[in-house]
Amino acid sequence: MSTDDLIFDVRDVTLRFGGVTSLNNVSIQQSRGEILAVIGPNGAGKTSLFNCLTGVYTPQVGEIIFHPSQDQSVSIMGRLPHKVTQAGVARTFQTSRMFNALTTFENVKIGVEARHKTGPIGAMLHLPRRNREERESDQRTLELLAFVGLEHRMNTLADSLPYGDRRRLEIARALGTNPKVLLLDEPAAGTNPSEKLELTDLIRRINQEMGVSILLIEHDMRLVMSLAERLYVLNFGEVIATGPPKEIQENPAVITAYLGTTETEGVSG
Amino acid sequence: MSINERKWPLGLDKDDLRLAVTCFFGGLLLAVMTGPEGNLSSPGFAFQHSIFSSHVYGFVIFGLLLGALSVTRRKSKMGVWELPVSLRLVTVKEKIRTLTNTYPAIIFGVVAFIALIAALLVADFTGPLVPNKLSFGQLLHQFVNSRTYGYISIAEAPLVIRLVRTRLKKSTPAQGSIFSSNVATVIYGLVGGFLFALFADPWLPPRFRWSYFTFGGPSNNAFFHHWTTYLWIVMGGLLAGRYIFVKTSDIRRAKTQRFRRPRAEVSASTRFVMYAGCLFVAVEAPKYLNAFWQSTIYQQIGIFVLLAIGLNVVIGFAGLLDLGYVAFYALGAYTNAYFTGALPIHPPFILNTFFVVPIAVIVAMLAGVLLGLPTLRLRGDYLAIVTLGFGEIVYVLISNLTSVTDGAGGTGPAGGFSINLPGIHYAWSAALTGDLSYYYLLLGFMVPILFLFTSLNNSRVGRSWAAIREDEVAATSLGINPLKYKVMAFAIGASTSGVAGVLSSAKLGALFPSDFALQLSIFVVILVIFGGMGSIVGVLVGAAFLNWVTQYLIFHSFIDYQDADKFMYFGALLILAMIFRPQGLVPSKRRVREFEDEEAGLGSADALGTAVEGPLS
Ligand SMILES: Nc1ncnc2c1ncn2[C@@H]1O[C@H](COP(=O)(O)OP(=O)(O)O)[C@@H](O)[C@H]1O
Ligand SMILES: [Mg+2]
Repeated sequence: MSTDDLIFDVRDVTLRFGGVTSLNNVSIQQSRGEILAVIGPNGAGKTSLFNCLTGVYTPQVGEIIFHPSQDQSVSIMGRLPHKVTQAGVARTFQTSRMFNALTTFENVKIGVEARHKTGPIGAMLHLPRRNREERESDQRTLELLAFVGLEHRMNTLADSLPYGDRRRLEIARALGTNPKVLLLDEPAAGTNPSEKLELTDLIRRINQEMGVSILLIEHDMRLVMSLAERLYVLNFGEVIATGPPKEIQENPAVITAYLGTTETEGVSG
Repeated sequence: MSINERKWPLGLDKDDLRLAVTCFFGGLLLAVMTGPEGNLSSPGFAFQHSIFSSHVYGFVIFGLLLGALSVTRRKSKMGVWELPVSLRLVTVKEKIRTLTNTYPAIIFGVVAFIALIAALLVADFTGPLVPNKLSFGQLLHQFVNSRTYGYISIAEAPLVIRLVRTRLKKSTPAQGSIFSSNVATVIYGLVGGFLFALFADPWLPPRFRWSYFTFGGPSNNAFFHHWTTYLWIVMGGLLAGRYIFVKTSDIRRAKTQRFRRPRAEVSASTRFVMYAGCLFVAVEAPKYLNAFWQSTIYQQIGIFVLLAIGLNVVIGFAGLLDLGYVAFYALGAYTNAYFTGALPIHPPFILNTFFVVPIAVIVAMLAGVLLGLPTLRLRGDYLAIVTLGFGEIVYVLISNLTSVTDGAGGTGPAGGFSINLPGIHYAWSAALTGDLSYYYLLLGFMVPILFLFTSLNNSRVGRSWAAIREDEVAATSLGINPLKYKVMAFAIGASTSGVAGVLSSAKLGALFPSDFALQLSIFVVILVIFGGMGSIVGVLVGAAFLNWVTQYLIFHSFIDYQDADKFMYFGALLILAMIFRPQGLVPSKRRVREFEDEEAGLGSADALGTAVEGPLS
């Protein structure tokens, strides 16, 4: 891994909720273009980490730097979530959060449009920029729907999509924001084996064809092993191991955390 | 044996009973509300007349029918009652089709009869004003009315057409039947327009006489002397043409286009015809009203519709509950009073009211932004309380800042609209009755506002509002700044309210703090909810309807009616509406889906408490 081209640089982050420490002194580095996975048992703090990376929570200690490109750096600390997205970080959620009453097309279009500029005046008066942006976002939305394989579902309401399609829709919507890095929170949870294969393929294509770095939380070890170049293992809010999948699988601390011997051992290990 | 275990006949249950009883009393309530004039000095007399009038029976029958229908619908939805195909609630069109195709003439006759009764009821309710519809004799007179024939024709026409078509199809091969040809479509359109003219033409004498339908009729009021007659016929022809155009182009389009953008359900040309028709009615109809309604349509209906359209942006589009909406209305009104020199403090220069409008927009908008920025971070219920407080603050200020606003005594006369250009001098008349100039001015403001708000709702901004309403966390994750869009909605709503304030004060002249009390805010919220949050058409219709009811009750209520009583009736109406149509009179499509989602346990349709709290997972 080349340390000079990082996309995410998380340094010594600690996040507390009252007495609960969700993240304790967590440091994570992701290289540009990398597919990086974060694994760990339930309650380990994976989602909390995502929320810190997207500005939803601000950690009490530490620093999170995002590099949209090699010579730019943006501090995520204290930045509002929508600003973080605008800087180039997109995410999906562990439990699906679609705009259920809107169609598939509209869902993705909202993602695409979010970075456009048309304001209320332009929208009301149909100024030229509004018309141009409408055309552009329609075009881009269709491209993205085709990319994730949902163009035939364009006019379907989001809530009448099957579960696997909903996952893909959420990914398309997030891609609409033109991210540099995409954070996926358990994208394969609740999908069936064939959908898992499609999803693996989709994530790989996003990474390779669109050049988007991927940060992935996933429980399904097969999926993680086939995608990720490197893993971080969280347990009780601490990074207990990092490295390529092969090594991780044999790491005793990780095995202990997952097999769940006594809790204290897991943390101290 | 406990009550719970008692067997109900036919698989009915308690909820069915409740539904039926609600419908019945709903009908009774409507009867009381619209009953003949009465007064408290001889309540017995009024009561007797209210009980024994045909009018009351009409409503009671209506209530009973509605109850039976609702129960049937509920039971068939639950699958308890297996209804024959003909009675299932499909679309009316489909129903008629299955009826005429599968059933013999008897059932067809029954449907025709029901349609007849329905047409008679509609004709009765909308018929010319008979002061007290007390006797059956008078009811009979109602039925000897051209309008009644119009309604009957319209109710029966589809059946007759259908019948003729099926009968003919039996003898000739369906292919290329002249009844489905384009020529026939045009004829249908023309005849439809003619029928519409027949019952809609306000010039038509109230009592039916054949001689009115000849070209050289007995007076200038004869049917064919009116350009409106021809206009409706042309409209019918246009509609038919549009139908043919859409039918043929739809076939073409379906063949060629692979990617289709989600298409609006109503095509652009239909919409154009509809808009043109509505505008025509809005311009023409008031001319035929009597002096009372001509003044009412501005002050009591028009202004409120404008207010509701503005508040709809806040409640319906952005999903924020604003209970201090009247404050912006007051700001607009007092801005006008200030700049036209009606307040004790004097402005640097006196302005024509036309120039006050943009100032009022800016003032109200600024107030909206100033109130919104700190408060819109709050969750729904807190926001409601804060806005409520703001409304009260403004109210107290204008009541007590006597040196600025003249307090409860009322201001001096605020200036009205006028044009003073070289060669053109025109002043809008502040006459209280029988003058429509302000109404047309209001229309001039309203029509552009309607178009602007519609395109706003169908734009990036409108979709962002929808996203925030549905899932604020997800919207934020896409880079939408919720605070910005909420403040935007607040400001747009506020400025509309400000415009309404200027318009209202220009006609009213003197302003009193009591015109800007809390009740008004709540009333406008009711208008929006009743009409259908988020639906511009719904809010328009709902607001106009409810305000019409208020005024109608002044003349038609059986109990001695006071203006404040209207809230009692609104309460009743709102309860009925919430039971039967929680999504509003003409709901927006997005909103309907949100309601369905909520019933299915997905997301929340609660516009008034959007913020999603708790750990994000
Ligand atoms: N908003 C919050 N308030 C309080 N505690 C929280 C909050 N968010 C997360 N936590 C706590 O942080 C810990 C980690 O949770 P989470 O990040 O959701 O775990 P994971 O995604 O790895 O299953 C849990 O103990 C959880 O209770
Ligand atoms: Mg999680």
